[in-house]
Amino acid sequence: MSMEIMETMEGKIPRLPDLFVWTAEGVKIRSAVCRDCNTYFFPEYHAQHRPGCPRQNVERVLLNNRGRLASYTIQHYMCPPPFKTTGDITPYGIGLVEFPEGICIAGLIMESDLESLKIGLPMETIDYTLYQDEAGNDVVTWAFRVIK
Amino acid sequence: MREVYIIGSGLHPWGKFPEKNFVEMGAVAVDRALQDAGVRWEEIQAIMSGILIYGGNAGHLSGQYIESVFGETGVPVVNVYNACATGSAAVRMAYNSVAAGEVDTAIAIGVDFSPKGFLSAKSDDPRQDRDVLRWYMAGMPNPVYWALECRKRFENYGDTPEDLARVKVLLSQYGAENPNARYKKRFTLEEVLHSNMVCDPLRLFEICATSDGAAIVIISADRQKIKAADKPVKIAATTMGSAIYGDPTIRISALSSPAVAEAPLLSESYSASRQAYEKAGLGPEDIDLLELPDNSSWHYLQYLETCGFCGEGEAAALLRSGETEIDGKIAVCPSGGFSSFGEAIGAQAIWQIVEVANQLRGRAGTRQVKNARVGMAQTYGLMGNSGTTILTI
Ligand SMILES: [Zn+2]
Repeated sequence: MSMEIMETMEGKIPRLPDLFVWTAEGVKIRSAVCRDCNTYFFPEYHAQHRPGCPRQNVERVLLNNRGRLASYTIQHYMCPPPFKTTGDITPYGIGLVEFPEGICIAGLIMESDLESLKIGLPMETIDYTLYQDEAGNDVVTWAFRVIK
Repeated sequence: MREVYIIGSGLHPWGKFPEKNFVEMGAVAVDRALQDAGVRWEEIQAIMSGILIYGGNAGHLSGQYIESVFGETGVPVVNVYNACATGSAAVRMAYNSVAAGEVDTAIAIGVDFSPKGFLSAKSDDPRQDRDVLRWYMAGMPNPVYWALECRKRFENYGDTPEDLARVKVLLSQYGAENPNARYKKRFTLEEVLHSNMVCDPLRLFEICATSDGAAIVIISADRQKIKAADKPVKIAATTMGSAIYGDPTIRISALSSPAVAEAPLLSESYSASRQAYEKAGLGPEDIDLLELPDNSSWHYLQYLETCGFCGEGEAAALLRSGETEIDGKIAVCPSGGFSSFGEAIGAQAIWQIVEVANQLRGRAGTRQVKNARVGMAQTYGLMGNSGTTILTI
């Protein structure tokens, strides 16, 4: 991975590692692609090869920062622990975003107007601060928002 | 392979029983099954038992714990887990053991109790257990997955909120008349449409609860036992399927899915049902009643298509036509479904088989499907688990 890709950002810590990075083009989901069977994995450590694939050419990649909304829901009850956020987000959006690489990724949708969500909308990957840790860092996850 | 019959079955009613333990519930159902089959415990030659994931050490060895109640006999006891298709695995193993001639009579046990409160993550290491991610990073309880698929149906086929509510209305009429059901209230369309939204478009009464319960079948190829049994039911096929590469379903525990489909949606259930049709030499057109896994109203609609009872996108029209009702072309969930029972992970697959058998044995009372000769029980477990059982008389 090149120098301008950051695993952490000043003051921000991913709640779990190896899932996304910050780049000059915004937040990008980490993935791995098998060049033998042309399959993308997420998380990158969860292989899902095509049957018969020789499994010899898997490399880590970053997904495009932008995709389209393939499906969504609006969740009206807070998810039970271990999910944790201090933000008053209920009801909150969850989306399935289709990336140009040919993989859909699920995640929170940070959007003030949930009623305007529609399949097909252009989306971008962002980060979302779930809560602050004792040292004052933002503990973050990936999320999506509609490109206006 | 020999002809194999269900010669007896037993249920512990579904509900919440905090005062009982799972062994007690299981024993009630085993007693009923033994009595129904006219078989003594010492005649059981193999025990195939579904495990309970919330039952600790005892739950993981449920077969041994239940065996000890009736007296340990030294027979093989196998404990198995396949998520909500756990009971399918137990029945399939019991069937194979009997059909192959290893033993003549076997029992399949399904018993479960759900924990207090919400189901949630079972570990905290995402590299060992990918399921951790959805809880820590995305706030996605199970119904969210169903809602994401349901939304696609609304978009692709024009299914409506009324269709989802109609499923609950229909199933609640059956549940009200099933003595073993947990929920007996008859709902109106208005009541369902005004119940709280949980994850849009799925409302509270369109999503099943979690319950405790136990279900047992006794399976035999012993001619004398079959002859002595009250209306034995033949197992025409009992199969299992896993998912197929390229399945576009956003599957519970995953946070990704292929954007381009190379396999059917719910491919594990497609696979299990097609194996069963081939093995039984029967198809959807031959089936009089179907118990499908209605974890939500979305499942009810989707499974009619997945299992080939109508074409893609046609399920809502089939529902609206009344052909999925008890006197329709295919009676769907005349038990009242998970909608009226709630799901009890390790027990529900066997419970579905018992409900189908009860119909074929003419024991369904006011819910009886007339002239029912062929019935099917279809299960769906997370992470690519499914089982199909076809029974005939
Ligand atoms: Zn590959």
